[in-house]
Amino acid sequence: MNHALGISSYLIAAPMLALLAASLVPVMLKVFSGNREPHPFVTTAYGFIAVASALGLAITFLGGSKFGFHKALVSDGLALWASIIVLVSGAFSIFMMHDHVETQSKLFSEKVFLLLGSLIGMLIVVLSNDLIVTFLGIETMSLCLYVLIAMSRETVLSKEAAFKYFVLGSFASAIFLYGIALIYGTAGTTQFPGLMEQVGPLLESRNHLFLIGIIFVVLGFAFKVSVFPFHFWTPDVYQGAPTPVTAFMATAVKAATFVAILRLFQSTGYQHSVPLKEVISWLAALTMLVGNAAAIMQPNFKRMLAYSSVAHSGYLMVGVVAAGFGDSQGVASAAGIVVLFYLLAYSIMTLGSFAFVALLEKSVGQALQVDDVRGLGRTHPVLAGCMAIVLFSLAGVPPLLGFFGKFGLFSLAIEQNFYWLAIWGVLNSVVSVYYYLRPIVLMYMQGDDAPHVEMNKQIMTRFTLFGSAILIIVMGLFSSPILSALKSAILGRS
Amino acid sequence: MPMNSLIDVGLSHYLALSAALFAIGMLGVLMRRNVIVMMMSIELMLNAVNLTFIAFSRFRDNMDGQAMVFFVMTIAAAEAAVGLALAVTIFKRFREVNIRYFEHLKG
Repeated sequence: MNHALGISSYLIAAPMLALLAASLVPVMLKVFSGNREPHPFVTTAYGFIAVASALGLAITFLGGSKFGFHKALVSDGLALWASIIVLVSGAFSIFMMHDHVETQSKLFSEKVFLLLGSLIGMLIVVLSNDLIVTFLGIETMSLCLYVLIAMSRETVLSKEAAFKYFVLGSFASAIFLYGIALIYGTAGTTQFPGLMEQVGPLLESRNHLFLIGIIFVVLGFAFKVSVFPFHFWTPDVYQGAPTPVTAFMATAVKAATFVAILRLFQSTGYQHSVPLKEVISWLAALTMLVGNAAAIMQPNFKRMLAYSSVAHSGYLMVGVVAAGFGDSQGVASAAGIVVLFYLLAYSIMTLGSFAFVALLEKSVGQALQVDDVRGLGRTHPVLAGCMAIVLFSLAGVPPLLGFFGKFGLFSLAIEQNFYWLAIWGVLNSVVSVYYYLRPIVLMYMQGDDAPHVEMNKQIMTRFTLFGSAILIIVMGLFSSPILSALKSAILGRS
Repeated sequence: MPMNSLIDVGLSHYLALSAALFAIGMLGVLMRRNVIVMMMSIELMLNAVNLTFIAFSRFRDNMDGQAMVFFVMTIAAAEAAVGLALAVTIFKRFREVNIRYFEHLKG
């Protein structure tokens, strides 16, 4: 057996290697200039160059259907598009960190370093072809995030949030790892292609250890994407973390982890287990319900967005259910297309909404309430207009981007005979319209006496909000070319 | 012979032991309120997983499991480093390593 690694392995890993090399530049600069913090703009520029070069390398070398490092990494259309989503979210989060009052401090270059390190972990997750590599990626991503949250200038809330996230995250990782151990023991392999062939026979012969292993792995993933039994940390951590970091967690972490979940459910063998199908369908249904019900009652703006992100995880789980338990040929690829499109739409909308929150937060540790947006339509018409577009899209109003995302997911569920899940999803998105429209009503129809609030400049955060509003309209109008690009990228691999 | 099940230690014994260790660790995380004890319990869970990997590797003649243990040990060390650093900052801020003082994030 030849153990040498070809150049193709390194080409697949090139985006990660570039990120690793470039992420060292800001901290090294600081060390060699006598521990003096470089100008934040310089650090931001380095961060942006790092992400942009990784993006360029990803677009150049990923795609097709290539394996690297003895099939530990796979480079296909799913990996390519997920890397693009993750890296773009990372770039916008760096922009927002540059502006925000809680992240711009003496330790800014370290924060950019940690964010880039977290991006490396996410790229490992989306490229991974082996459960243990997925675990390594998830841990790299999470360990950087724990420190990133704790390093906020604000003291009490962020420390508490970081420790809650750390304890629950390590707890979930241990459960995830136990699942991997049981799968390894029963299937004899942890690589996805070999594992997917074993799923059918093992579930058919009622191998309980294997079933428990799969359930543990799903629960570990459920924590990272805040799916129902493990969603309790989400509002606390999203509120306690600095807003740019929250935006990063809500978009990039979720995108990377959902791609790993899709890779786990790429087999038709799961249909042999009715209990597994029931469990995962109910997880999806309850996640939607819990997220939307809690968001309705939430007066705090960031917590409301956190619960709304829980609800969006529920919608995405419908796609996962269709991928794993649908019965037609090639359903996993079809689910990959709609889930990736939804992740793309969701990331753009979430970045925009958290940019809006970051713009309104004036002081450290201030809890922005939904009522604080009263009268903003009169005092800041452009900002309010952009936020209204983002919120309409989150609610799923056509012809904006969010509508096409939801339409794709629910029509896939109906094609695969999951009628009740699709109907439940539509009902839930009707409920969600209430809390998405409340800020719009407050901005435009109330608060005629609201004083003109002076806003911080935060040019890059404004750019993020405007950019996401424009992308929502443009990509909503041109959603079919994007969908066909996704389709050719994903179907091209097999 | 009834004695054989006690003398011949097989795969199921190792699995039962590691499951018990894992459950003890899980209970520790869920029930203890001291930050340091919670981290110790997480270590216990990870080491229970290591035992599972080793047992499967030994009884199935597949060396992959032994390699995975090295990854898990590395991750456990990294996690402990970050966790202890967090515990220090929490002690500096709250003057206590007990999570019953965590009451700022609710709702």
